[in-house]
Amino acid sequence: MTTVQDGEPGAVTTTAARPRPGRAYPLLVFLAKRLAITAGLLLGVTVVTFGLVNVVPGDPVTANLSDQALNDPATVAAFREKWGLDQPLWAQYLQYLGNLVTGDLGISQQTGRSVLDDLVRYVPATMELAIPTMVLALLIGTGVGMLAAVRNGRFTDQLVRVGSLLGLSTPPFWLSLVVLYVFFYKLGLAPSGGRLSTAFSPPPTVTGMYTVDAALAGQWDVAWDAAQHLVLPVLVLTSLTVALLVRFVRSAMLEVLQQDYIRAAYAKGLPTRVVLRRHLLRAGLVPVVTVSGLAFASLLSGTVLVESIFGWPGLGQYAYRSATALDLPSILGVSLFVALVYTLVNLTVDLLYGLIDPRIRLS
Amino acid sequence: MSVFPRRLRVGASALAALAIISTTACTAGGGGGNATGGGAATLTVNTSFVLKTLDPGRVYEATGLTAVHALYDTLLTFEGSDVSKPVPALAESYEVSPDAKTFTFKLRQGVKFSDGSPLTADDVVFSLNRLKNLKASPAVTVSELSVSKTDDSTVVVTSATPNPNVPVVLSMPSTAVINSEVAQQNGAKDGEDAAQGDTAQQYLDTTSIGSGPYLLKSYEPESQVVLEANPEYWGDKPKFDRVVLRNMDVQTQKLTMQRAEANEISLDISGRLLDGLPDTLQTSGVQDTVYFLFLNADPAVSAVTADPKFNQALRAAIDYQGIAALYGTGAAPGAGLVAPAFPGALPEGEASTRDLAKAKALLAEAGLTNPKVKFSYPAITYKGVDLGTVATKVQGDAAEAGITLELNPQPLTTFLDEMRAGKMPMGFTPQSLNYPVADSLINNMAPGQPTALRSGWTVERADPAVVAAGKQVTETLDLAQRATAMQEWQRLMNQSSPYIVLASNSSTVVATADLTGADYTAAGWQVDVAAVGRK
Repeated sequence: MTTVQDGEPGAVTTTAARPRPGRAYPLLVFLAKRLAITAGLLLGVTVVTFGLVNVVPGDPVTANLSDQALNDPATVAAFREKWGLDQPLWAQYLQYLGNLVTGDLGISQQTGRSVLDDLVRYVPATMELAIPTMVLALLIGTGVGMLAAVRNGRFTDQLVRVGSLLGLSTPPFWLSLVVLYVFFYKLGLAPSGGRLSTAFSPPPTVTGMYTVDAALAGQWDVAWDAAQHLVLPVLVLTSLTVALLVRFVRSAMLEVLQQDYIRAAYAKGLPTRVVLRRHLLRAGLVPVVTVSGLAFASLLSGTVLVESIFGWPGLGQYAYRSATALDLPSILGVSLFVALVYTLVNLTVDLLYGLIDPRIRLS
Repeated sequence: MSVFPRRLRVGASALAALAIISTTACTAGGGGGNATGGGAATLTVNTSFVLKTLDPGRVYEATGLTAVHALYDTLLTFEGSDVSKPVPALAESYEVSPDAKTFTFKLRQGVKFSDGSPLTADDVVFSLNRLKNLKASPAVTVSELSVSKTDDSTVVVTSATPNPNVPVVLSMPSTAVINSEVAQQNGAKDGEDAAQGDTAQQYLDTTSIGSGPYLLKSYEPESQVVLEANPEYWGDKPKFDRVVLRNMDVQTQKLTMQRAEANEISLDISGRLLDGLPDTLQTSGVQDTVYFLFLNADPAVSAVTADPKFNQALRAAIDYQGIAALYGTGAAPGAGLVAPAFPGALPEGEASTRDLAKAKALLAEAGLTNPKVKFSYPAITYKGVDLGTVATKVQGDAAEAGITLELNPQPLTTFLDEMRAGKMPMGFTPQSLNYPVADSLINNMAPGQPTALRSGWTVERADPAVVAAGKQVTETLDLAQRATAMQEWQRLMNQSSPYIVLASNSSTVVATADLTGADYTAAGWQVDVAAVGRK
């Protein structure tokens, strides 16, 4: 749109084109509303997590101190005082909220570091797995799902359906062990676990993702080594995510294929590829985006077993360790992070709807 | 009609190709995780991390102890897998007063911290006071000790009660000597306010300020800890320039060791997992863990388990040989509460044996027909052993004698909580010593002591002979005689205590064939990485 200033020769009065008051900047209003909802949601998460952790059987003191130390009242008292466990629950909660407002997520009883530092350390490791997994899974999942839909009922379709069912029913830890056995033990093609071979030191931290950071620092041997360590866990996670996506894509596309406008498009004599790309892909993508968003969020919130088998120091392992130690500050930190990821992903998905299908408007 | 467009077909093949490339991308990289890295020799130690901190005053977990032992020096230490006698480290000699209350340590001259500054008696005093006042998990070992210096190279440690085990305590990694000046600059405190006021943990997790054979290069608590040789080290130079402790799931450790060619160790492949390992690997293990049942002696909790005859009947019903077989290589049927690795253990010939007829007779005498007991245990795998499998075997053995055990597997924290509350009729747990002094068990497990009270075993409910035998141990100051007294205590415990020792099991170090000195030690640090060399 070109801007024409009022009063200039040939200017057109643009009042009518301006958004009316009350309906001004629908995107901003939408975002503001979502922000408010997010804040409320996060507050809810703190209440629920705080309540749950304090309701489940298990005392953080027992989980964190040695057996001998537990027999020493002075040690137990010192632990309770240090972590504020001697305060009433409401006081502990208010204290937590107060700190949270200033961006302080507390100190992890497990690691002794600030929970924020811990998240900054573990989230990039998980991102490094989740991003390539999602890219691969989207490419493969959409392609194969579409293929199955257009080949509905035929051999290819059957094959894809059986394959995805197999993928969905495969336990991730088992698949991890199998790929390790085959690619590491039998074939010696891939490293067994961790993010880097023991010969290398991590690159200087920029993003926290070793491949990216090593490339930025020009340490190509480190980047290559880090990339090799990504292969097996990404392979496992991708196969699981693809299995999920394929089923969604296939059923979404099948539904679209039965619409009148597809038939009309064919009837008009449009070439198949045009029909598929312009009509089928676009309409079928909306549900795909939804499920991809959720899949991505769940990848980020941790894939505990896969991470643990590949010795991957990600959010999943951190969350697991915090939960088993009843480490309240880190459990809350992880919960808040996961809730935030889900809201952001949902927001992105909603915004993408509008781009994919102009009939869906912000309202 | 074919609705499979050519373009889509091309796309699909491209994706398939991409997937194949991504899986085979690493072929060029070769050997994977076993690289040794150019000229610098690297020792890789694979272990399933139990790691919270590398701060000596707070370290308590297995992986942390292995690292801290390599980073810091203590007054005394243990060599190889022998935990019977502490040997000089920072202290070149020491004297014990006849009442076992005063210990005088003469410090080695010329020891420097890794930053080049000299290590003095002040550093020793600061470090031990800090450990005591931090009141973290390892503090209990020194809670009765006070420390002072008489001159720059003499330190005196005093115990409030006679305690011939002080030299052992002062060999533990938590008593490591840190550079007090640097520590204080980074928030360390040694006063009574240390529990709340000391803020040095984060610093000590990323930087080592000791005088040990290695320096801390990097610390990533979920993945790896990298150590580098300390050029200022006063003792023999370690054989490896670099040691990487790597977090690895135990199944992956097994696969990794099967492929490993050189310079690699695993710390968690024990028990049944040892089956099928190639002969080219070497293993070193010591039985340092006992697995025992406990029966509540409080009739208010369970009238059945509190009955001494039931206690003896269950003891007689268990197939100890069969249970040891479940643990695999390196296990033995239970004898006493002290694991064979430690001085004071009962000899193998005294292992408990099964006598079903006796079990049935005792139950009949007690008038118990088909007694039922809830049997709780943590649903975990510990050192390669699934506790559930063992519990099921106990259940089966008991059933043959006419005892019904209702299995109650629980998450670890729930189990610990319930056990501590003292309301559990019957339970099952492994036990390793925090430091290699068996008589610390008396402070925990003798009648009226904290662990005993969890099973309702008060002094009033106990046989006075057991109480007297425990007292005899703590009053004996000569270590050899103390070990003998300890054996006598265990024999009496086997007759009437609420604990039934099922089996003892080994922890194991698995190492590649080229390594020397990869010995498992029950001292707490599992393996002395600085002592590992190459043939």
